[in-house]
Amino acid sequence: MTDSSIWWRIAWRNLWRNRRRTAITASALAFGFFVSVFMIGVADGIVDSMVEDGTRIVTGQIQVHDPGYRPERSLHSTLGGRDGVDVSAFLDRIGEVGGVTGAAPRVYGGGLLSSGEETVAAGFMGVDPLLEPGVSGILAAVTEGRAPRPGAREVAIGSEMARKLGVGAGAELVLVVPAADGSMGNDLYTVSGVFRTGLPGLDAFQAVVPIDVFQDLLALEPNRIHEIGIDLRSASAARDVATEMEVVLSSLGVEVAVEPWTVFRRELYEYVSMASAANSIIVFIVFAMAIFGVANTMLMATYERRREFAVVRALGGTPGSVARTVVFEGIVLGVVSLIAGALITAPVMMWVHAHPIDLSGFTDEIRAAGSVMRPLIQVAYSVKGPLISSVALLLTSLFAALYPAFRAVRVPPADALAGR
Amino acid sequence: MNRTVVRTEDLWKVYPQEPKPVEAVRGVSLEIQAGEFVAMAGPSGSGKTTVLNLLGGLTRPTRGRIWIGEDEITALSDRELARLRLESIGFVFQAFNLLPVLTALENAEFTLLLRGVPAEERHRRVRELFALIGLDGLEDRKPGKLSGGQQQRVAVARAVIGEPALVLADEPTANLDTATGAALLEVMERLNHENGVTFLFSTHDPRVMERAHRLIHLVDGSVESDVAQGVRGGVGHDR
Ligand SMILES: Nc1ncnc2c1ncn2[C@@H]1O[C@H](COP(=O)(O)OP(=O)(O)O)[C@@H](O)[C@H]1O
Ligand SMILES: [Mg+2]
Repeated sequence: MTDSSIWWRIAWRNLWRNRRRTAITASALAFGFFVSVFMIGVADGIVDSMVEDGTRIVTGQIQVHDPGYRPERSLHSTLGGRDGVDVSAFLDRIGEVGGVTGAAPRVYGGGLLSSGEETVAAGFMGVDPLLEPGVSGILAAVTEGRAPRPGAREVAIGSEMARKLGVGAGAELVLVVPAADGSMGNDLYTVSGVFRTGLPGLDAFQAVVPIDVFQDLLALEPNRIHEIGIDLRSASAARDVATEMEVVLSSLGVEVAVEPWTVFRRELYEYVSMASAANSIIVFIVFAMAIFGVANTMLMATYERRREFAVVRALGGTPGSVARTVVFEGIVLGVVSLIAGALITAPVMMWVHAHPIDLSGFTDEIRAAGSVMRPLIQVAYSVKGPLISSVALLLTSLFAALYPAFRAVRVPPADALAGR
Repeated sequence: MNRTVVRTEDLWKVYPQEPKPVEAVRGVSLEIQAGEFVAMAGPSGSGKTTVLNLLGGLTRPTRGRIWIGEDEITALSDRELARLRLESIGFVFQAFNLLPVLTALENAEFTLLLRGVPAEERHRRVRELFALIGLDGLEDRKPGKLSGGQQQRVAVARAVIGEPALVLADEPTANLDTATGAALLEVMERLNHENGVTFLFSTHDPRVMERAHRLIHLVDGSVESDVAQGVRGGVGHDR
């Protein structure tokens, strides 16, 4: 057609013939858009904080190991093998990779902690007390006492472990670990503080000691570490950053395994993927409900206009041109609804983003997939949520128009003109 | 100017209906030449609307054949019939049937729009026609703001704007008072006389029949009489 704008104008005018009906339909679609965007925002908010919390408490978002370290986590599988690596050179290189906000070396060992009357099995994590806070929140989770100091025989233990041992900050514990040279390392440590992360596994079994004294106890040289934990600006970038980091580190001539959290926190990653899939289900349900309402009102509108379709046909309009008027009207309805939806959704999203809704009065912390969820409704901004919802809304109004369009085409002109 | 614009041969339309099928049109054969001004008269239920719908391809005959110009339309598909109507046939209805969301001008130019005629030409042609039939100044009014007589004139404009071979008008004056109806008929006559538009209109109003140059009487779906009326130098045609 030479000018299709007239057909859009006709669709627009037809749309407003029954203002009330159009207003109701458009509001329903706009509300569906809001629900869709908001719920995706909330779900993304939950996922984001699960990933943040799940990786920030202790693991970090990328880990670098000796390729043989996982899954056995052998004491001997240190980065660079028996000779170890120049740890500071490693940290420097890692720090140069874009998106990295912190990196810290770690040494792990398993053993016993004893307070005299009580003995418990413990996982020990040797950390650099100065670098570790840039990667994980474990030292910041110390609620009683303080973090262990570099070079001091001090240990921070989990709250549940402290309860079992019946000790608090200032107590003395005997620490026993099998060392790398086959001997049994044991020494007396002072409890510098007690941490509480909210994760039962950590609070009951984890003990944190300064890396230097721990290496000494394990008979490991200072250049032999098990892991470098890395924190990123954005957890979602972990896979890309890991790939880049692998390239950067390969230039150091040491074979290493660089793994993002999606690998070493597989269960968390699967949970998150599932939650993203749930987003599409939300969108689908919201608009599946809307489509019937929209189709129904459009069907009503087309039924009322049977005679006009017959006139168009009598004047030489093709079945296609009749279908077009209905479909165009559906599309115009979709665009109007989308604008209305955006106008109500944007301010609510901005407000809730700035003022997360606190549910801590109603519920405790929620634990899932080895992460702690804060009892807060907070929405994450994303391009994805509004984009998916917009496309879904426009498709909804388009599809809702198809059946009415089909019905309009099927109107027999002679009968409709006779009012039959 | 002896060019046949429409010809039918033994046209039948039977509506299957309980208890007994309705024979709305029974063996109508007629021929109309370019430039004629023909009335089809007959009481309500005599088959006038059905004949017009058959000629316009809105209803398919049960039996018989129809030619519009050279083309036999009985075998055409819906799409082809639409194309034929767009190019060759204008419709005027008893109930005006303007599209309510369109202005008078947009209604009148509608078939040009469907044909893809550029806006400038569409508007020029509508304005010329509106001036001829006394609608100038009403271009931007919606049908709701027009009187019945004005609406029907817009409908006539819509029917003739594309210069169709034939205009079919189904009781065009039935919804108008006598004076307005007479004025409308005058407009149709002028278009017939000055622009050579061929009209076939149905009516059961004797005053309207009088004005036709040829009068076909339909009774129970059959042509009872078909006579030329010697008025205003009309193109007579006798059978
Ligand atoms: N679609 C239809 N179904 C059944 N009967 C019909 C239909 N259309 C017309 N008729 C019947 O055919 C006859 C002629 O109708 P019509 O052509 O409308 O006559 P007129 O226009 O002269 O009043 C009438 O008896 C009418 O009831
Ligand atoms: Mg009739």
